[in-house]
Amino acid sequence: MANVIVWIVWCGAAFACIASALAVVSFSNPFFSALALIGNLASLAVLYLLLGGEFVAAGQVLVYGGAVMVMFLFVIAYLGDRTQEAPWAGGPSWQAVGTVLAAGAILAEVIVALALTTGGHLKHEAHIPRSFGTPASIGRLFLTDHLLAFEVTSIVLLVAAVGGVVLGSHARTLEDDARA
Amino acid sequence: MNAAAWICLLLPLAGALAITLAGERVSRRGAGYLSTATTAAAFVAAIVAFADMLSKPPAARPHATTSWTWLSAGRYHFGLTLLTDQLSVFMMLIVSGVGALIVAYSIGYMDREDEERRFFAYMSLFVFSMLLLVQGGNLLLLLAGWGMVGLSSYLLIGFYQERESAVRAAKKAFVMNAVGDATMALALFLLIQHTGRLDYGGVFAASPHGGAIANLIALGLLGGAVAKSAQIPLHTWLPDAMEGPTPVSALIHAATMVTAGVYLIVRTHPLFENAYVVEDLAAGLGAATLVMAGLIALVQVDIKRVIAYSTMSQIGYMFVGAGVGAYPNAMFHLMTHAFFKALLFLAAGIAIHALAGEQDIRRMTGLGRTMPRTRLAFLAGSLALVGIPPFAGFFSKDSILAATLDRGWFGAILFACGLAGTFLTGLYTFRLFFVVFGREGDAHPHLHGDAEGPFSMVSTVAVLAVLSVVGGWIQFAPLWTPLTTWLAPVARPISEATSWEEAASSAAAFALGLAGIWVAYAAYAARTVRVPAALPLLEKKFYWDELYDLVFYRPADLVSRALGRFFEQPVVAGSIGEVTQGFRVGAGEVSRAQNGLVRSYALALAAGVAVLAVVFLSVR
Amino acid sequence: MHGPDVAWYLVLAALLFVTGALGVLVRRSPLIILLSVEIMLNGANLALIAFARRLGHEDGQVFAIAVMAIAASEVVVGLGLIVAMGRRHVELDVDKLRTLRG
Repeated sequence: MANVIVWIVWCGAAFACIASALAVVSFSNPFFSALALIGNLASLAVLYLLLGGEFVAAGQVLVYGGAVMVMFLFVIAYLGDRTQEAPWAGGPSWQAVGTVLAAGAILAEVIVALALTTGGHLKHEAHIPRSFGTPASIGRLFLTDHLLAFEVTSIVLLVAAVGGVVLGSHARTLEDDARA
Repeated sequence: MNAAAWICLLLPLAGALAITLAGERVSRRGAGYLSTATTAAAFVAAIVAFADMLSKPPAARPHATTSWTWLSAGRYHFGLTLLTDQLSVFMMLIVSGVGALIVAYSIGYMDREDEERRFFAYMSLFVFSMLLLVQGGNLLLLLAGWGMVGLSSYLLIGFYQERESAVRAAKKAFVMNAVGDATMALALFLLIQHTGRLDYGGVFAASPHGGAIANLIALGLLGGAVAKSAQIPLHTWLPDAMEGPTPVSALIHAATMVTAGVYLIVRTHPLFENAYVVEDLAAGLGAATLVMAGLIALVQVDIKRVIAYSTMSQIGYMFVGAGVGAYPNAMFHLMTHAFFKALLFLAAGIAIHALAGEQDIRRMTGLGRTMPRTRLAFLAGSLALVGIPPFAGFFSKDSILAATLDRGWFGAILFACGLAGTFLTGLYTFRLFFVVFGREGDAHPHLHGDAEGPFSMVSTVAVLAVLSVVGGWIQFAPLWTPLTTWLAPVARPISEATSWEEAASSAAAFALGLAGIWVAYAAYAARTVRVPAALPLLEKKFYWDELYDLVFYRPADLVSRALGRFFEQPVVAGSIGEVTQGFRVGAGEVSRAQNGLVRSYALALAAGVAVLAVVFLSVR
Repeated sequence: MHGPDVAWYLVLAALLFVTGALGVLVRRSPLIILLSVEIMLNGANLALIAFARRLGHEDGQVFAIAVMAIAASEVVVGLGLIVAMGRRHVELDVDKLRTLRG
């Protein structure tokens, strides 16, 4: 019984995931694209939960959805109408065709690779303890095995923050630059 | 002792280099003096070598010195070897002696020419090349000298560069000699293949006796000799070579270079004796040439061309002598011919110089009165050429004729040709003498006051005149043969004439020579016999030039023109344009990928990833 | 509980990735391109977490969290650039920004 529920949830989340991803790349209004991305993030959080990553799912919703997407919406609102555009127009003629071909090729290759390399190996899942994916165990890993990644990531965040401030400061226009 | 041989060889080269490098720092006359001095010093060195050789017993006389190994390839080693033996010393004396006289003469002849220094540099280069040819100890050095005398000849024939006829004549000489060089090179290749060496000591013993290979080798060498000595069929370049200055004609095309072919045959006579057919062929070609050249000389109107055909004819005699195996006789005639032919050319040169370049004998009249000393010199040379005793030609030419009697029916034909040639020689030589140096006729408008020429010209001509008289007295076969004795160890004759044959041939030749002189006197001096109109056959020099033009030049011209039109223009020249066009178009196409759009570059990235994924999947 | 194998999640992740790539290559507005990049990153994250589940280690999840942090920083810088462009009235069309042209 639980199996069926899991399957149903999975299918729903997967469908929502793909549909929202397609929506992101197809809407001409960026505001709607950003909203579709929020939907994508939510469905992904559900999938993470199904995979036993509680902390990651929470982090996804809080960080991605709560911070990153808010930033996006702010900027889209700030820039307004200037960001409208038709999706498939523009560029050289071979751009669209080449894109579909390349993307399709990569997709096919990944699936083939999966089928060839793994065979039946992916059928068996490892047995996981109850503490799999809990904040405690993730935190322990961050501070022991992956300490370097932790520290480097924090530095990157610092740099990005500083960069954001620099880029956003001194609303200098082109006229200002010309006069200088 | 061999220091003397090396000094003799290298002095003219040093002279040529000095004149070349000094450029304008040496005066024009100075270049002449330098060239003469080095050649004369080379002559002195040759005398030293000769004297040293006299002091040794005959068996010990040949002496080869190698300065270093020039070519070393696998098991073939060729050294820079000088061979000093009886034959080479003989030639060294002639080349350097007559050369020194002629170079001294040119100081006066080429005075006030624009490019005297170049002339004397070339002359010294030539003397060096000829000495290298005769002194070389292996066939490779001989070939090197051979080529270099060809080069010097080309440079000197085309000395008057502005004259198109001179340039063409130089090219013609060089190309014909190149044919001979090619056959000689082929012969040398065969020799190397079959014997593995080229030095005179070894190659003659090791070469095959008889058979096709021996014939081919001898034939190749004969080809080179025929080209260099202007015998049939490679003779047409010699009359045209008269475009060069007269001293050049004297030195190169009379005394030394054209006799190199004879020297070659005598030097490599064992190879020729291994191929009797080719030796007979050489004699036959010589006989044919001497008759043909004599006939043509009868109708020529350019004084230098008459003497050139005479040279061709006399070398025919030498080829006959070498071809029947009478090597010392051929060399003897080579020596006396050098004396009197140079004399004739230089005396003619005095006349030409005095008349400011006039060479047509129909206009060179009355010189007998105005230039008596030149007339005397020319007379001496002419008598020597015809073979009137006691002048030099008598002793040398008749001994060749006598040797041919030793050879059966073929020798008889050669003998007949030789006698006919003697008659013709008398006729054309004295035709020239009576027409040019006759007593009557008006003085030429260009005649200078001081007609006989400067001291350098007169003195050298005088020396040569004396040599033409006494030069033959070194051998009076069969009574007194020091020359044959001297040369015999290196060139043993295979035909010896008996005293009876010698006497008979001498008498016959003498008689015919006198007959020729008498006919010439009757026709051109006393005017008692009317001269018939010249045959077109003779005037056109037996149509050899026309034949070569038809057989070689025209087809080659046609082929090259066709190739130019059908292959070179469309394919080669067109392809260059097409290659650049293709590059331009291709670059245009490729540059379209650089459109500046980030999206396109990203697409390229994605496509690359797709390809790489396949690669990684397939290569485990 | 069972449910789909890890393989299904991986195929889903591939689909997400390719869709994001499609968006990057086709759209002209830098904002949308940035959003598409986010989708690609999310696809990668899904794959990481699926493998973490399969192998029983949480290293994949740690990696995914790091990716999230880096993605956030990148968005900060990218949006800052876009805002700067907007302030200078540069047209927000990737095709118009051609100074890379050779």
